[in-house]
Amino acid sequence: MHAARNLRLCSKDCVCLFICPTGATNTENGQIDFEKCLDGCRLCVDACPSGAIYLVSSTYPKPQSKSDAMTESIFALAASKAEQEDLARTIGAQSDDPSLRQICKVVEMSSRIIAEDLWRESGYIIAQSDAATRLLEAMLAEHGLMEGFPAEAVKALINARR
Amino acid sequence: MDADVRQMTWTELAAVCTNLEKACTKQLRGEEAATFAKLAAFYEARQEMKSDATMQNLVALIDADLSSGYRAANDVAETDADRGSKRALLWGEKATKLLKSLLVRYEKQGAKLTENTGVFVCEICGFVYVGDTPPEICPICKVPSFKIHPVRKEAI
Repeated sequence: MHAARNLRLCSKDCVCLFICPTGATNTENGQIDFEKCLDGCRLCVDACPSGAIYLVSSTYPKPQSKSDAMTESIFALAASKAEQEDLARTIGAQSDDPSLRQICKVVEMSSRIIAEDLWRESGYIIAQSDAATRLLEAMLAEHGLMEGFPAEAVKALINARR
Repeated sequence: MDADVRQMTWTELAAVCTNLEKACTKQLRGEEAATFAKLAAFYEARQEMKSDATMQNLVALIDADLSSGYRAANDVAETDADRGSKRALLWGEKATKLLKSLLVRYEKQGAKLTENTGVFVCEICGFVYVGDTPPEICPICKVPSFKIHPVRKEAI
């Protein structure tokens, strides 16, 4: 577990620089040096007057389990959102009216965001979930030989999990 | 229950990947985020134009979600006392209603709807806003407005 800084909240009071025993909080890019940060130390987290430092876990619990009926109806909605995204993208691409293209872009983006949230609620909330690993394996099996598939990166990720 | 990769469209596959990319980014795992970004790009490169792409069909799909899809899912979430699913369904249904309203208004007003005003999308929940300045807090998911982004008209 290492500390990380939320730069939007950081008020540059530098208390984390005073208290860090390894200098991990003092860097040129504003983020904490994860290599130098001591596992679980959290001195800077507790010292920060603006609540801008938090701990990032290295391990995560399994996501909450869902009933098959729940997952199934969420998948159905996610599929519908994908179809809406496809329709909006096509309508936009086939028009040369900037205002229609803008509306289609909005529908495309919003549909994707709604779909992502649905996926989040059906076992794919984190990449460390078993469902996400099985998804990667299925993608590799189905599409691994197609041109442009990032097979090496996907294999590395699967191997890191197994 | 797992999603069946063989039954999913390229866009569905892309969406599950961009979701996991975002999760990895929030965990500050850049390399894993990059892998999911590459996967999403791979699937997006395969997206095809739809042959049934009309506004009527788009609105009909949205109507079906609002009249049956969300209702059915909400019933299951209620039975399961699954508050996580209820949360996602509530946000998604509200954003879907706004998309419907946007399309209905555009159908009536055409280019006039956005002639002198901006359009914004919340990156967290898909909330859509037509106006000059988006609200300080997203009315659907309550995220601060720095996560609500303008979508601009682009010249062809």
